[in-house]
Amino acid sequence: MGNHQLNSLIKMVNQIAANNTHIGDEAEAAQMVASHLGKFWARSMKQQIIEYRENDGSELLPVANQAIQLMAG
Amino acid sequence: MLQHFDPNKDYGTPASLSENLITLEIDGVSVTVPEGTSVLRAAAEADINIPKLCASDNLEAFGSCRICAVEIEGRRGTPASCTTPVEAGMKVTTQNDKLGRLRRNIMELYISDHPLDCLTCPSNGDCELQDMAGAVGLREVRYGFDGNNHLSAEKDTSNPYFTFDPSKCIVCSRCVRACEEVQGTFALTIDGRGFESKVSPGQNEDFLDSECVSCGACVQACPTATLMENSVIEQGQPEHSVVTTCAYCGVGCSFKADMKGNEVIRMVPYKDGQANHGHSCVKGRFAFGYATHQDRVTKPMIRDSIDQPWQQVSWDEALTFAADKLKGIQEKYGRESVGGITSSRCTNEETYLVQKLIRAGFGNNNTDTCARVCHSPTGYGLKTTLGESAGTQTFDSIMQADAVMVIGANPTDAHPVFGSLMKKRLRQGAQLIVADPREIDLVKKSPHVQTQHHLQLRPGSNVAFINAMAHVVITEGLEDKDFIANRCDDGAYQAWRSFISEERHAPENTAEITGIPADELRSAARIYAKANNAAIYYGLGVTEHSQGSSMVMGIANLALATGNIGREGVGVNPLRGQNNVQGSCDMGSFPHELPGYQHVADDEVRAKFEAVWGVKLDNEPGLRIPNMFDAALDGTYKGMYCQGEDIAQSDPNTNHVEAALRNLECLVVQDIFLNETAKFAHVFLPGASFLEKNGTFTNAERRINRVRKVMPPLSGLEDWEVTVALSNKLGYEMNYSHPSEIMDEIAQLTPTFTGVSYDRLEELGSIQWPCNAEAPQGTPTMHLESFPIGKGHFAITEYVATEERSTRKFPLLLTTGRILSQYNVGAQTRRTDNQAWHDEDILELHPVDAEDRGINDGDWVGITSRAGETVMRAKVAERMQPGVVYTTFHHPASGANVVTTDNSDWATNCPEYKVTAVQVVKVTEPSQWQQRYEEFNSQQQSFLKEGRKQKTQA
Repeated sequence: MGNHQLNSLIKMVNQIAANNTHIGDEAEAAQMVASHLGKFWARSMKQQIIEYRENDGSELLPVANQAIQLMAG
Repeated sequence: MLQHFDPNKDYGTPASLSENLITLEIDGVSVTVPEGTSVLRAAAEADINIPKLCASDNLEAFGSCRICAVEIEGRRGTPASCTTPVEAGMKVTTQNDKLGRLRRNIMELYISDHPLDCLTCPSNGDCELQDMAGAVGLREVRYGFDGNNHLSAEKDTSNPYFTFDPSKCIVCSRCVRACEEVQGTFALTIDGRGFESKVSPGQNEDFLDSECVSCGACVQACPTATLMENSVIEQGQPEHSVVTTCAYCGVGCSFKADMKGNEVIRMVPYKDGQANHGHSCVKGRFAFGYATHQDRVTKPMIRDSIDQPWQQVSWDEALTFAADKLKGIQEKYGRESVGGITSSRCTNEETYLVQKLIRAGFGNNNTDTCARVCHSPTGYGLKTTLGESAGTQTFDSIMQADAVMVIGANPTDAHPVFGSLMKKRLRQGAQLIVADPREIDLVKKSPHVQTQHHLQLRPGSNVAFINAMAHVVITEGLEDKDFIANRCDDGAYQAWRSFISEERHAPENTAEITGIPADELRSAARIYAKANNAAIYYGLGVTEHSQGSSMVMGIANLALATGNIGREGVGVNPLRGQNNVQGSCDMGSFPHELPGYQHVADDEVRAKFEAVWGVKLDNEPGLRIPNMFDAALDGTYKGMYCQGEDIAQSDPNTNHVEAALRNLECLVVQDIFLNETAKFAHVFLPGASFLEKNGTFTNAERRINRVRKVMPPLSGLEDWEVTVALSNKLGYEMNYSHPSEIMDEIAQLTPTFTGVSYDRLEELGSIQWPCNAEAPQGTPTMHLESFPIGKGHFAITEYVATEERSTRKFPLLLTTGRILSQYNVGAQTRRTDNQAWHDEDILELHPVDAEDRGINDGDWVGITSRAGETVMRAKVAERMQPGVVYTTFHHPASGANVVTTDNSDWATNCPEYKVTAVQVVKVTEPSQWQQRYEEFNSQQQSFLKEGRKQKTQA
């Protein structure tokens, strides 16, 4: 897992979360973000962000963290 | 083609749109025409051709030359038939001795002050004056030629594309009227009176220095050789014509390519072109010389490393080399280690094939297109709210609009032919609201156009602005309750209504963010909401932001809330930058969508494609362009096929892009020039210009237009043939003998295209999709009765400030855009005489910011952001607001994108080109990047030269 991609993915998922936090409560927002990632992110990107959340996750916004957890199933 | 009127005939005056029919008698023939039609046109429609000189059917009747005089039973005198409207029962005589004498007398006066050099005149064979002299039977000029005349008037050759020879002018005013009525620039006038009358650009300036925008409408209107294309003066009259579609902006103008053998003599906008109705801009009409420019690379080339010279090889060698490299990469690094990029400059058929090759040949969905960096938020935003990733109207719809709101677009520069139509409607009295940080030409530089409000918002505050507009609509009760109740999803509406009504969205509270005075915003919102028909036109100033998708949804929300969707004169209209942005998106270029915006995760959809393509398809989206760059830097993405796109120049953060490209083990570039991206390539496949191939483009109004080959491809192959050959080398068999077969496959797999075929295009001229069983003639206006998602969906659009903000270190905000004479990365227009208007990118800044920094007009300035630094010349201009600077990105050496950052739209990764925090200081030498660029560029040019030399020696 390279730094360029991971740094971008963290920034991207946090940005998606920031733009969706106003939709209902945190769980609803996380569902929305998870659905967005599922629909638009490549397999390798999903895998990388899931691994990052599992191994560290410190830079993720709470909604982003929840969304990745949802996506990981 | 189905024709009501012959597009090659001039009917003298414009058609009347009245539904009331009038019957009259012309030369004993009963003729029925719409009320308001002129006698001249009524006659022409009955194939009774009255001589004329000052009349043309794209101009209002003028009645100046009097050649078209007729007799009407019961009326005195000989009225001009162009200015006389038909009346029921009217009996008109167009030919008799008296009229013949009258016309000969008039013509005699004209010819007495006209050079008799017909045999050597450039318009010989295409001169209306000559034709009319013949038609009226002129045999002598009794006045002689020794009196006062204009025969020694000096030529104006300042314009690179046409010559003004006033000695041949008959002062019919057609050029002046075309400049006013068709183009809307008002650059020409008739100066002086009586015998002194003459056509004058501006205040007796030459054409190049005047306000003339070189659209060429005057040249086309001229009935003599007074205004004449230099190409015709030099090469003579063309001998055949082919109708095709312009390869510049998203207006998609139809042109007659006037040819002499395989050489284009001139491009004449086609009167039956349904997007442009016979008008054009300087690029489409004149800037076609790049197609045969000496820089064209017409032989395939290969090399193992970008530090080596190119080797010219055969098509077979190049394609085998590329296929072996790409297959080798996949074997070594995995199936997902390669991908490709389609181009909005290529045809639908070519784009379809590239994404098919990637999905079926490479076996992954790593396909993306340059719409990623322009209108991807339009796709996301409009699909979410309206259910379809496309604009809702025809261009002509604007003629029914009562209020027009232009947001982040500059139509007179970037979409000039539509800009002219818009100005025409505005001159008729439609109200105009412009939301733009910069004072675009529509605001103050468009004669007889009154801008009600220029909302000069701060870059990055779009969503706060559109939310405030919607807040005013809802809280002042200006919404269209019936439309919302009948056409929109109630749950989503109630949630949005509650959100948008919050006081924090009130213009008084957003003013600090947007910089727009609250009362002005309220007034603009009222104009938009209260107009019978209000239309929104937007461009990249909406999409190229960190909240581009939110802004598109905000625009759709506003249109839904006010019921401005689903009829003529209204709508949400994205102005697409390049010629086939709409088409490249339609054709499945995005990594998550197959053609027709069908998601790759949909099993049923995939099964349909798998059955026709004969392979199993991946059900996961692939990488987008910025993700490809990141993966390349991390070493997981190693090979790429890039058709017709110049990512090294057009994409943001050039240093990042260049580093990614250098990391690729195999970059295959297919292009007509060795563009900036090709300098990082290992395989160069020569492309074909739009003049050298068959296919279709889809313009911003979803109109599919035919591109027709007018000359053989210089490299021997059309682009679609190259993709087919590469695919076959990769082991995925493709077999087409003509692009029409590709379109048939597209129609088979794309629900919105099932009725599209080349035969149907020939029959209808063009087709606006959806075109299927429900809409066999196509769909000019979308969402008439329902949306593809059933009900319109209001989306909640919270304003989230961009991370890119001005700071003490970078106190100014840079925003980028385009200029009329250049196109996108400039690869085409820089290789034409359009350089006369714009041969370098310039930084515009406000006098206050200039004074603070001691900067004067023309100074070299360094522009630094957190991404990089470049140097340009400064222009001090009040078009900018203090704190905001502006430049274009048409020249690679100017390095505009060295400065732009990798910030992007949250939903689509469309780069935030429109907001970059920068500092500007006076400097004395080029930036380090520019110095490196010069060195790298000259090395790559020498590699090209060496490759060509080796082949010649061999």
